Amino acid sequence: MRKFALTAVLVFLGGAFLPGLARDASASISLEKCTLCHGKPEFRKLLVDGQIRDLFVTGDTLAGSVHAKKVCADCHFDVSEIPHRERPKRVTCTHCHFKGNHEGAPQSDNVLAYFDSVHGTAIARGNTKAPLCQDCHGSHAILKAKDPGSRVARGQVAETCGRCHMEIYAQFKGSIHGTALAKGIAEVPSCTGCHGEHRIYARKDPKSTVYPTHVSEQCSKCHSSVKIMGKFGIETEQVATYNESFHGVANQFGSRTVANCSSCHGVHDIRPPADPLSMVNPKNVPKTCGKCHPGANPNFAVGKIHVDAKKKESGIIYWTATFFKWLTIGTMLALVAHIFLDMYGRTKRLRGER
Amino acid sequence: MPEDDRKDINRDAVAREIEAAVNEQVSGLPPEQADALREKIRLRVREEIERDLRARTVSERREAVRLAREARKKEKDAEEGETFLRFNRNFRFQHMVMFSSVILLIITGMPLKFPGFILSRFVINFWGGIQNSTIVHRVGAGMLIYFMVHHFFYTILTRDGRRDFVLLLPKFGDAKDIAHNIRHFLGKVADKPRFGRFSYIEKFDYWAVYWGCIIMIGSGLFLWFETDVLRFLPKYALDVAHEMHSDEAMLATLAIVIWHFYNVHFNPDRFPGTLLWWHGRITEHEMKEEHPLELEEIVARRAKESAEVTNR
Repeated sequence: MRKFALTAVLVFLGGAFLPGLARDASASISLEKCTLCHGKPEFRKLLVDGQIRDLFVTGDTLAGSVHAKKVCADCHFDVSEIPHRERPKRVTCTHCHFKGNHEGAPQSDNVLAYFDSVHGTAIARGNTKAPLCQDCHGSHAILKAKDPGSRVARGQVAETCGRCHMEIYAQFKGSIHGTALAKGIAEVPSCTGCHGEHRIYARKDPKSTVYPTHVSEQCSKCHSSVKIMGKFGIETEQVATYNESFHGVANQFGSRTVANCSSCHGVHDIRPPADPLSMVNPKNVPKTCGKCHPGANPNFAVGKIHVDAKKKESGIIYWTATFFKWLTIGTMLALVAHIFLDMYGRTKRLRGER
Repeated sequence: MPEDDRKDINRDAVAREIEAAVNEQVSGLPPEQADALREKIRLRVREEIERDLRARTVSERREAVRLAREARKKEKDAEEGETFLRFNRNFRFQHMVMFSSVILLIITGMPLKFPGFILSRFVINFWGGIQNSTIVHRVGAGMLIYFMVHHFFYTILTRDGRRDFVLLLPKFGDAKDIAHNIRHFLGKVADKPRFGRFSYIEKFDYWAVYWGCIIMIGSGLFLWFETDVLRFLPKYALDVAHEMHSDEAMLATLAIVIWHFYNVHFNPDRFPGTLLWWHGRITEHEMKEEHPLELEEIVARRAKESAEVTNR
């Protein structure tokens, strides 16, 4: 009776585990099986919209990428039989890439940041055009972001974003940042420099790094640094002078309508002032200011915009500031001296009376 | 009749008169009817008297309060002497318009000069953000401009205004007063300088406001109507206006908070402040202390006037 019970338990357990073991065994489809079809260079599919989807994958595809040691079924784990009847599902990176995983995959919260971002929320709402991990990082040839060949490397990321944001990419390529990026200058920001990497939000979202009240902060990350700007002969006073101007002050108090850096200099099409296409070129200043100040005329461009009253080059503004500085110091010294003399006299007389 | 300890001879006479009239009326009637009529008249009279008494006690109470107040005032006046009207109602009104506008302007303007301060952020948020606080600033500006125009016409059109303007003009005597006062503070001279209607301190306050109003209203209007100004002037003119507005605001605020507040609030003679700005009156004692020359003038003028009257 006891023996029977033990056997029954063993049989039951075997019945419970063996099918699983068997499935695991069949799931590890070897690379050779996949390349039977995918190894042929002419293996491609004509899509409904006329586009051709190249399905050519060989054993070398993953070589050199961060997933060099992985095989097809590690990511395409929903393929359980060859040939697969249905199109494999989109790869879910979070299968391995989550914090606390045992796979040895890099651990970070980036995936959570992504799901909170404008792209992640669009996916969650069912927008099939919104990008998943592989849309930016690439599907098979994924390299580390620091690798210059990576699609998300500083030099490449603009093109990657531009695959969807085409007009903006075209504007950016012509801008001072875009041309500098093409020259391979290391300090220049690409898309992610301002918008963030995984934490990309819509510009009307207060969490966004390019929300109206965050723009100046974002630009000043580089433009207030003498170390960076000194290399290119650009002055850093723009940040301080903006913050002291009414525009800057109102911006610091949370006004979303007041001008920030990009209101005047442009957003993706920022160009140096000497460029005739620049929004801050003296010829274009009336138009640029006219966006908020209807009736702006060329007088708006007479005189420096980012003026610093503490600098002698500011001319009459410097002299006005200096005059008032000494007038204030002189007057207040005289008045405070008078007050203290008065109090001194009172104390002395009170002591005398006592 | 109800008992009343304030009843007087007059009232007794009226009572007797009524009694006689009633007696005359009831003399020919049978006793029951006479009693009924007598009762009716008595009720009517009592009603009348009670009403009269009610009205009288209210007015008497008011009268008593008024008399008590006058008596207290007289007692106080005996200590302080006579009171003089230092600032007329018009002048007091101007001062009130000015200080309320300046308070509004300072609390909505200063945060813009120090945007990093937590207090600045609190004040701006108090008004509901920068959009609202700039509107409040313009309301204050409108009040200050009104004050300036009002004062200009007050100076030209009224007799007091013209007299005060002339008395406020700086004179050589003021320099001597300053030197004298400093020597007094240092204990070199026992007595204070003898001031007229306006001491050099008050003259400084007046002209500081004059200068401040011109600078602040002028540059403020530039900043208010910036697009219209830029139609005729280059951008650096606006920058100059901005610099002036910001710097003069600081100077004016410091002058008010340190100098004016010391002189009218924290000065031990005044602490915590007088109600001169409200009722405009100053006592003879204060006159003797602070404006002896003006008091002398007033006394001399009165003597002359009364002499003229007697001569006539």
